[in-house]
This record gives sequence, C-alpha cells and structure tokens, in this order.
Amino acid sequence: MSAVHDLGGRVGLGRIEREAREPVFHARWEKRVMGMVYSVRRAGWLNIDAFRHGIERMDPARYLAASYYERWLASLERTLPEVGALVPGAAPPPPAPYGFAREVSAPARFALDSRVRVRARSPVGHTRLPGYVSGKCGTVVSVRGGYVFPDTNAHGRGEQPQHLYSVRFTARELWGEGEEPRTSVCVDLFEPYLEAEAAASGAAETRDVA
Amino acid sequence: MSHEHDHDDDHEHGHAHEPRDAEAARLALRAEALEALLVERGVVQRESIDAIVARYENEIGPLNGARVVARAWSDAGFKQRLLSDARAAIAELSLPTGDQATPIVVIENTPGVHNVVVCTLCSCYPSSLLGLPPRWYKSPPYRARVVREPRAVLREFGLDLPETTELRVWDSSAELRYMVLPERPPGSESASEQELAALVSRDSLIGVAQAGQRRE
Amino acid sequence: MSEGNPAAQPLAALGAHAPPRKNGELHFDEPWESRVFGLTMSLHEAGAFAWSEFQRELIVSIGAWERAHGATDVGFRYWQRWLEAFERLATRKGLIAPAALDARADELAARPPGWDHQRRDVG
Repeated sequence: MSAVHDLGGRVGLGRIEREAREPVFHARWEKRVMGMVYSVRRAGWLNIDAFRHGIERMDPARYLAASYYERWLASLERTLPEVGALVPGAAPPPPAPYGFAREVSAPARFALDSRVRVRARSPVGHTRLPGYVSGKCGTVVSVRGGYVFPDTNAHGRGEQPQHLYSVRFTARELWGEGEEPRTSVCVDLFEPYLEAEAAASGAAETRDVA
Repeated sequence: MSHEHDHDDDHEHGHAHEPRDAEAARLALRAEALEALLVERGVVQRESIDAIVARYENEIGPLNGARVVARAWSDAGFKQRLLSDARAAIAELSLPTGDQATPIVVIENTPGVHNVVVCTLCSCYPSSLLGLPPRWYKSPPYRARVVREPRAVLREFGLDLPETTELRVWDSSAELRYMVLPERPPGSESASEQELAALVSRDSLIGVAQAGQRRE
Repeated sequence: MSEGNPAAQPLAALGAHAPPRKNGELHFDEPWESRVFGLTMSLHEAGAFAWSEFQRELIVSIGAWERAHGATDVGFRYWQRWLEAFERLATRKGLIAPAALDARADELAARPPGWDHQRRDVG
C-alpha cells in the first residue's frame, strides 16, 4: 500500500481550514527550518527526492498531525544522519547538474492524445505515482520531455532520466460511473509508470485491472 | 554546520527576537514602543495592523504572478507565448523570479474551462511566481478532496461553477509547476496593467477563485 | 479616494524607494519590520496623513543614510529607514511625543533576557 503522504482521493481528513488572515510563517522556528533545508540542499547533502522521501517515512499519525514545517524538520532529522551530514568533518557528495530536465536518449514511447493505462503496482520506496490513478486509463495531453526519475534518485540509485507525460483522467474513470461529466484530473507521470491501454488489456472484453 | 541548529524549537522563540546588530536592536525596541504608545492612546488598533500585514504578505503578495497575468490580459501575443513556453515568456518581463530551474506551465481559464491546481503527494507550488503557498493548500483535506470532489471544494471557496463549465484539476506530481491564468474580470477593459495586476489574487492563480474577487 | 484604497497599492514596486521583496512578496527579516509597516499603513488608511507626506519622509531618510554611508553600502536596511521616517512623521503630526517614546523604549530595554521565553512567537 502507498504511504500516508499519498492523499489524493482519501476521505475522512476533515474540513479545509482557511485562516482568514494568515502570516507567512506561523512561528519563527519555521523560518529557520526553511533556511536549513535550503542550505543543506544547496550544499549538496540532499536532493529534493531524498528530502521528500524523508517526509514520507514519518510515522503516519505524526504526519497527519504535523504542520508543513514540522514535516520538513522531521525529514532533516531522519535524512541528515542517513547521508552522514552530522559527522564532524564530513563532506557532501559532488553536486548534481542544475535543474531537473535531462536528455533521454530513447524517444518518447507515448504520443500526444494516446490512451495509456497506469501500471497497477505497490511501489517500495519513493515514487511520484499517486495511488488514486493506479490501474486507471487516461489520455496523454502533453509530452513534457525528460526529467530526473525520483524513484531512483531518492535512493542514491542515480538520476536515470525518464520521459514525463501529463495524463488526463475523467472523474468517471477515477471514481465511478456516477460521477459528473466534464470533470477531470490531470497528473504528471513518468514513462515507467505507464503502459499502452490497448496492449495491456489483451482480449477486448477484458477490463480486469488489479 | 551540524551545530547551527542545536536550539530546540521552544528556545528559538526567546532568542529569535535578537536582530543582527546593536543598531537594529535599538530600532526594534523603538518600533515596539511606537506601537505600544499608539495603541494605548487609541490612535490605532493592533488588529488593524495584523490585518494589513497579512493582507500585504498574502493577498497582494504574489506580485510576480499578478504582473504576468496583467501582461497576458493586455497583450495577446504575450499571452500566446506564455501558454506555449511560460518560462521564456516570463523572462521577457525581467521579474526577480529566483529559481530558474523549475519548469512553469500556465493554464488558461476560459468561459468553458476552469482549472485548479494541487499537489496531492506533498505541496509543490509555483513559488517563484506566487511566493510561499498558503497553509490550506498544503493541508491534507485540500490535497485529498480537490481531486475527488473539486466542484464541492470550489463552492466552499465561494466559487460556484456552472455545470456546463469543464473543470480540470492539475496534480503537480512531478517537477512541473502550474499557474492558472484567470479570466479577465468584466468591467476591466479600460484598466492599466498596474490596475489589472491589483485584481489578481493568489487564490485566482491557484484556481480556487476568479480574479477581481476580494477574499475576506 | 485612491489614497485610501488598499487595492491602489501606494508602495513602489521597483526602484530605490521600493520595499524589499522576495518572489514578488514583501519581505521582512524581523517581526518588528512588519509591525511598523502595518502601523504606518493602518494610520494612513485611517486618514492620519497623506501618502505623499510619508513618502517624502522616507526619501529624506534614505537620502540621509546614503550621504552618510554611500549608496552602495550593503549595510542599508530599508525598514530601519522606514521606521525613522514614520517616527518623524508621527512626531510632526502630534501623534507621538518624543520624550514619551524615549521613556517607553528605555522601559522595554530594561526587560530581563528571556522575558518572553514562554511566549509563542508569531511572525
């Protein structure tokens, strides 16, 4: 099952609370945490994917109760020791190239307007595949180019860039036939998450999705 | 480096008041004294000061995004360039957008299509254009519900879309950051670009409000 | 009256007299900076002075600092100049007596360290 941070479509999480007038930071320490995170990322200790994965590994109850900067602090507490940043005299790994866009030598597998199915999988470790689209079929609305692949980068297995697609799913596809028409969700998905809809189903009548 | 943050959270509150130098410390006390005296005399209320700080930090805040929108409303060629390559178009405005690495995509609201943005997996947000994200955007209820029942969520924000309007939710699950180009409010035809920018709220750039609405 | 209309944004967006911004938003390094900003705007919105009066004081403050330090000195702190300008304006308008302000500032300075240790800071 996916981890607690994967929230799309979950029920029972309560009302959306909007403070009528909210300060940018709710307490001074939050600003310090933000500064710390930017510093350690700039210094090369953490890439964004490892940092996010640190948040995702929080105790689920703590995650839901925590504020945004509390989650950042929790990630620092977990990941900095893991990468050896707290050892006196330790040096960070060599910095990665700037930005996230990368060349991918293989051509994009899926074309604009093609129909794709999200592979049904229970990922181990960090992923940017939201659980609510797992096994669902959608339409490619944009072919975005190559980007660092978070699923490997978060675990020190290298950037392994992949093609990225914006895929649109109708509300009916995601949540059932009773849903209203004219509503859709567009999700940015990496090529390894996807397969062609036609190839995946085999016999035309079979719509068996795990 | 590892000992920069050995103060725990509670201790931060007392020490964090200390500005960097003696002159700044003196002025901080002076500012505090000014506010105290004026409030005591009834010349001003603390609540109005709070409200103004919050308003300027939040509603009038995302000046970069607002300026981009105002330009797009005023210049049809710029708008087309913005929709096809947002990063390149925004560079024409020489805005201090900081991080150049994050790819931005601008999505247009029309009478037939309304867009709204979320990051269900964490809280990705186009900070270089919109500043820091609001607390509700990062909260579990928003992240969970806006992909599941977006029309109901928008109604809670005071935005009641006609049933015939197509609603597209964009989940920023990778590194692309989305900003909504809201519809130009009716009655703004003769407004200057600066006046137009003042009509663009942070909420309209996320997609939970139309431009020209003041959220109180 | 556009002077009293918050949406009219009397703040300069760019240039030497514009407040510091990060990502397009107003930027405060310290909580007191946002308080004195809010105080100034609050009084202006209540009609205590015209914006041009405050602007003039701000320009004077910035000019005086630049003459003393040089325009490119990195020690320039915008909100400190703002505070000076506001203090002068408030005094001129009879909203504040300088002696009372000095006395109150001294009182506050005499608080022991850690006096706000238990307080949850917002800002």
